[in-house]
Amino acid sequence: MTVPTSTAHPVPPARRLPGRRRPAPRVLPALLLIALTLAGPWLVPHAIDVPVTAPYAEPGGDAPFGGDQLGRDVLSRVLAGGRELVVTSLLVAVLVTAVAAVLGAVSALRPAVGRIVERTADVLMLLPAVLGILLVTLSWPDGGRLAVVTAAVVLGVPYAVRLVAGAAAPVAASGYVEAAAVGGERLGHLVVREVLPNLRATLLALFGLRFVAAVYLVATAGFLQIGPQPPAADWALMIRENSAGILLNPWAVLAPGIAIGLLAMSVNLAAAALIPVTGRKAVPAL
Amino acid sequence: MAGSLIGAVRRWPGRGDEPRPGPAVVRLLLRVAAVLARRALLLAVLLAFVFAAVELLPGDAATATSERGESTADLAERRHLLHLDRPVPERFREWMTGLPTGDLGTSAHGEAVADLLARPFPNTLLLGGLALLVTLVASVALGCWAAAEPGGKVDRAVSASATGVLALPEFVVAVALMLVFALWTDWLPAVTLTEADGSPASWKMLVLPVLALAIPQIGWNVRIVRAALADESTAPHIETAVLDGLPRHRIFTHHLLPGALPTIAAGIATSTGMLLGGAVVVETIFNYPGIGSVLAGAVTDRDSPLVAGVVAVTGAVITGVLLLADLVRAWASGGRT
Repeated sequence: MTVPTSTAHPVPPARRLPGRRRPAPRVLPALLLIALTLAGPWLVPHAIDVPVTAPYAEPGGDAPFGGDQLGRDVLSRVLAGGRELVVTSLLVAVLVTAVAAVLGAVSALRPAVGRIVERTADVLMLLPAVLGILLVTLSWPDGGRLAVVTAAVVLGVPYAVRLVAGAAAPVAASGYVEAAAVGGERLGHLVVREVLPNLRATLLALFGLRFVAAVYLVATAGFLQIGPQPPAADWALMIRENSAGILLNPWAVLAPGIAIGLLAMSVNLAAAALIPVTGRKAVPAL
Repeated sequence: MAGSLIGAVRRWPGRGDEPRPGPAVVRLLLRVAAVLARRALLLAVLLAFVFAAVELLPGDAATATSERGESTADLAERRHLLHLDRPVPERFREWMTGLPTGDLGTSAHGEAVADLLARPFPNTLLLGGLALLVTLVASVALGCWAAAEPGGKVDRAVSASATGVLALPEFVVAVALMLVFALWTDWLPAVTLTEADGSPASWKMLVLPVLALAIPQIGWNVRIVRAALADESTAPHIETAVLDGLPRHRIFTHHLLPGALPTIAAGIATSTGMLLGGAVVVETIFNYPGIGSVLAGAVTDRDSPLVAGVVAVTGAVITGVLLLADLVRAWASGGRT
């Protein structure tokens, strides 16, 4: 009978999961993969826009993953096709984390702002992110990448603010912040100098989680053809373009698919390792 | 001891005697009404937000769909057809009052959005509903299995796989499933064939799209179920139940799950949005006759009114599911807030 934990002690201390205290080994794969993705365009063996094989040629010769629908080298396009995804996702994650950090700290210090943020998050919960990004990019035809980034940031901020506000509430109620507030410090000073420095661990974890969410959203936008346009090399677009020839050369679809899968998994692993262990709050919020 | 046991049983509504039935019923009705009103208001705000987004962003439906060489007169005519030449407050009123009556506006090509969605949307609801059901059953089952032995082999394996799959985009899962189960082994069809009425021809055609949608959401919800059960297992009434020597399955079904129910319901309800959003993507891969194909056309045509209509219907569906979760919480907390 092992359902509940020990009954001899009244309240067990915060559950410690193995490996949580040393996040480095769990963060490393994500960092390596991101570095490889960013350096990828310089490592390509062939030009990404010139056919080197027959269309959908099987792996062999100097094309270890074969050719795509126009006979372009799949390996080269996979190496080159992740940078924009990673850069856009990083940009979204940085913006969301920064905006959420400030708004979250303000929400903790000024409950009226906190209530507005809560209601906004409740409203945006009714809007699936994929549809939201479609709505914004189609209503703003000339927006390009800016439209995708704007939509991803707007859709991501409310949830992130909730998380920061939750973590900032105990800090905002602590004696030294009250003392500073009573001492006449302005809101900006309280947010930047008093509250946020104590939330470094939370913000780092939040950044990781937002990066995971951004990769999902930017990749899905690419797949729906509202991101990079042909002939650009992009993992999501490659999956879409080459799925017609999936039986002839499965690698043209598998390779970018595995690349997106590995990126999402490794970044998620890293983000999970960065979440501060706070006893009760075992449920992370994206 | 006896006191806390009674307390534990009382947590499961419908058991034990309800004190003062009259006021309790009134209180429950009032709470249901408040929950309904709140959800309706949130939906109305979303619809206003959608209108504002389409309105404020540069470009409108008439110019977005214009072809080269089109004269200004043609453009003005289409603007008139789409009512874009009327003042903003009037169009806003038209949009907000039309929605409850089923009028979702006019697409950029002048067709009624409601007509365009009438056939594909039920298919998408079927796909999303099945995926939601699979998500619910699988995540509760896996979560309980993992929670049966905290820190054990099963627990670690389930948690690790859940973390692995929850961040995967649906289209990656869909392509992998299609490759393995349709193209290499030929067990399930890779494309959806439709009947004359536009519905999928066989249940087999639903298996892969449902799995592709459900797998990431199962990963997400298993963690929520697992964490909710872990929280609940530290409660005093569970200790009492264990000390009383109740069988393990009974502790799960009668003591742990009822307490964790509101958290689980909220988690599953939140997945509805992800499922409906993901359906758009998965449908295009399996050629499923849902709103995905309509939206794919909207992307090519830059048809923002059509997308706004889809967002409105989807928002209403999600509101319905969240409302159910609210009611589960109100019911499970049985008079307490």
